[in-house]
Amino acid sequence: MIRFVRDMVQVLKMPCREHVVLFSRQFDAPLSGGEAFGLRVHIVYCGGCRRFRDHLRHLQSLGRTLAEQAEIEPGLPAEVRERLNARVAQAAKKN
Amino acid sequence: MIDADPATRSTSGAEPASVPSRQSHSREVAAKRWIAQHGDTLWKFALARTKSKEATEEIVQETVLAAMQGFESFAGGSSESTWLLGIAAHKIADHFRRVRRARSPSSPAISPDATCVCATCRGMFTEKGMWACVASKWPDIGLGDGEKAEQAEALRACIDALPPGQSEAVWLRDILGVPATEVCKAMGLTDTNLWSRMHRARVALRSCLETKFGLRKEKRQ
Repeated sequence: MIRFVRDMVQVLKMPCREHVVLFSRQFDAPLSGGEAFGLRVHIVYCGGCRRFRDHLRHLQSLGRTLAEQAEIEPGLPAEVRERLNARVAQAAKKN
Repeated sequence: MIDADPATRSTSGAEPASVPSRQSHSREVAAKRWIAQHGDTLWKFALARTKSKEATEEIVQETVLAAMQGFESFAGGSSESTWLLGIAAHKIADHFRRVRRARSPSSPAISPDATCVCATCRGMFTEKGMWACVASKWPDIGLGDGEKAEQAEALRACIDALPPGQSEAVWLRDILGVPATEVCKAMGLTDTNLWSRMHRARVALRSCLETKFGLRKEKRQ
C-alpha cells in the first residue's frame, strides 16, 4: 500500500515529459499499480497527455492493420523454397 | 574453445577437405528445417516491408545464410523464430539503407529527436517539461477499412524512414507483436535500452504521421 501511494504521488509530481515515457513503456512492460493509477488520474486533467495516449493507441491499431496485411501476403513460393534449399546445400558444401 | 571456422577444422587432419564436416552437415539440416518451418513467416515479414519479391528473396536467403554462420552462437535464449526474425530485421534494415543511399545520398532518415511538427514551437515540451503546444486530434480511429489501410501505408513509410535500429524494433514489437523479452534477446538489448528505443521511435512516428496527415498543433498552453 505504501509503495502504491509512493509511486502514484511520484507520477503525479512528474512533468508531462516523463509521463509520455511511461505511456510508451506501458506497451512493453507492466507499470506498478501506483504508476498506472497515477497516469489515469493525470490524464483526467491533462489534455496533452490524454491526446498523446490516444495517438499511441492509434499507432498500435495501425500496426495491427499492417500485421494483418503481412498475414494476407502469400507464403514462401515453391520455386523460391527450392532455390533457397539449393543455395543452402551449396553454402554447406563450401564450408 | 569451439573453432568458428569449419574449413580450418577439416584441414587439421580430422576429416578430408572434400567431405563436408559434420558441423556443416548439421548446419545444412538446420537451415533446411528453418526454411520449412519459418520460411513463410520470414517471407511474409520481408515482403510486407519491401513490397518487392526480388528483394524479399534476397533478404530471406541472406537471413538463412547468416543464421547458418551464426548457428553455434544461437544460445536458445530466444525462440528460434524470434532469432531468425531478428536477423531478417537486420537484413531488411541493410536493404533500406542501400536503397536510401542509392536514391539520395544526402536524404536523412527521420531524426530520433524529431519530436515536434508544430509550426510555432521547437519541441514537444517547455523547459519545465510541460506540453509546449496542444497536439492535433487525429482522424478518427473508427474509420473505414480503406482509410485505415491508407493510414497503415503512411505508417509503413514512416517506419521505413526511422533509423535502422528503431525500425527493426518497431517491426518486431509493435507490428509483429513479438514479446519485449524476446526482442531484447534477438537484438541484444537490455529492457531499458528497448524501452527508450521504442519510446523515441513512437514519438518520431507520431510526428511523421502528423506531417503525413497534414496536421499542425494549434496553440500553446
